[in-house]
Amino acid sequence: MNSCRTSLATTSSAIAGSVRRSMMSSTLRAPMVASLRSMATATSEPARPASTPRMKKLKIYRWNPDEPSSKPYMQDFEVDLNECGPMMLDAILKIKNEQDATLTLRRSCREGICGSCAMNINGTNTLACLCRIDTDLTQTTKVYPLPHMFVVKDLVPDLTQFYKQYKSIKPYLQRADYPADGKETLQSIEDRKKLDGLYECILCACCSTSCPSYWWNQSEYLGPAILLQTYRWLADSRDHATEERKLALQNSMSLYRCHTIMNCSRTCPKGLNPGLAIAKIKKSMAL
Amino acid sequence: MSIRVIASPVRASLARPCLGLRAIRSSIPTHGVAVRHLGIPPLIAQPPGGIVGTVNDAAKVPPPEKVHGSYHWTFERLIAIGLIPLTVAPFISDAALAPAIDSVLVTTTLVHSYFGLQSCIIDYIPKREFGKVHDACMWLLLGGTIVTGYGFYKYETEDIGLSGTIAKVWKA
Repeated sequence: MNSCRTSLATTSSAIAGSVRRSMMSSTLRAPMVASLRSMATATSEPARPASTPRMKKLKIYRWNPDEPSSKPYMQDFEVDLNECGPMMLDAILKIKNEQDATLTLRRSCREGICGSCAMNINGTNTLACLCRIDTDLTQTTKVYPLPHMFVVKDLVPDLTQFYKQYKSIKPYLQRADYPADGKETLQSIEDRKKLDGLYECILCACCSTSCPSYWWNQSEYLGPAILLQTYRWLADSRDHATEERKLALQNSMSLYRCHTIMNCSRTCPKGLNPGLAIAKIKKSMAL
Repeated sequence: MSIRVIASPVRASLARPCLGLRAIRSSIPTHGVAVRHLGIPPLIAQPPGGIVGTVNDAAKVPPPEKVHGSYHWTFERLIAIGLIPLTVAPFISDAALAPAIDSVLVTTTLVHSYFGLQSCIIDYIPKREFGKVHDACMWLLLGGTIVTGYGFYKYETEDIGLSGTIAKVWKA
């Protein structure tokens, strides 16, 4: 209990500190923000003569639902890396701002915390905001939407089924009773540690859409992302619905279509390990 | 709802899901002459993106069946783990024990390959889409496994058996 209080105190002071710091920096920097943004890349890259543009070729998947009869195609773009941020999202947004405003993609936080900009870049599912642009100018970078998903437009996949599956695992705390004192449900530090590597998942669907099993049976198999979330609730010491949650996986499709292909763990842009979480579910459900 | 409306023409125009048996199967026209000629029932039409109900409904949870769930998986793993010592056993065991070890090894291997191929059928010929074709494949697999088992029974009792054959090839 004592250690709990200490850790709480340190956290709150850390938060207060960061708030103060960010307030300070924002007031200091506010008038310069616009110029700083364009400077950010120039300072991180080694000094180059500004006269030689570094043109990077990009091929981006395009499909427009307003013309359903025309086939999807790859469109070529060129971006000058001297005038572009270091990440793929910067390049794609630069194209959208300056070359083709019809290029459609999801994006929000630009720092790998929202999971919106998940796409297939050079054959790997990743978040565009966490993926550096390959600076080899002889190579063309290819950008596709997440594989084996229905496409809404350009780089926007239809994730309806993914979210419906997430809803089906009841991703919330289920308890038979709550503490009599009416305060929050407590958890030991050790029990909280079991959730590390699980709670960080942002549901970007990179892992699920890299899984061949999910490609073939996505209407029945839950896929690595949802199973990682299932394990997140199975591993939570505060949750009382463990048996119900396990029972929901007792069929040949929901869980056991995982054949430990491990594409999920390889592709996760947050460095999590859905394959291990699935293995732990299987182990906990075995005799 | 709006997403579903958008998604449906996508299915027709996207040629990306192009791997596996299903692609071959879906390339067969479902109401064409070829299918009727082969007597294969047509594919069961699936909702676009596998989406059933509105976007706010949770995906349906199947009824629990432990025989197809954890019991199946546990048995599968035990068989696979059991195969490791059984593969080594004929090399180090006494010749007198050969028929016993052989019969256990052959049975385990058969069950192991039955489970492996069963998984392939569930993956690539799913019941949801293939219906009776899925069932037929499962019966075919069971039949094949039994016939193979009978063949091995004859081979073990009337001939030199599995480890005898390997020993013969080894020396040849």
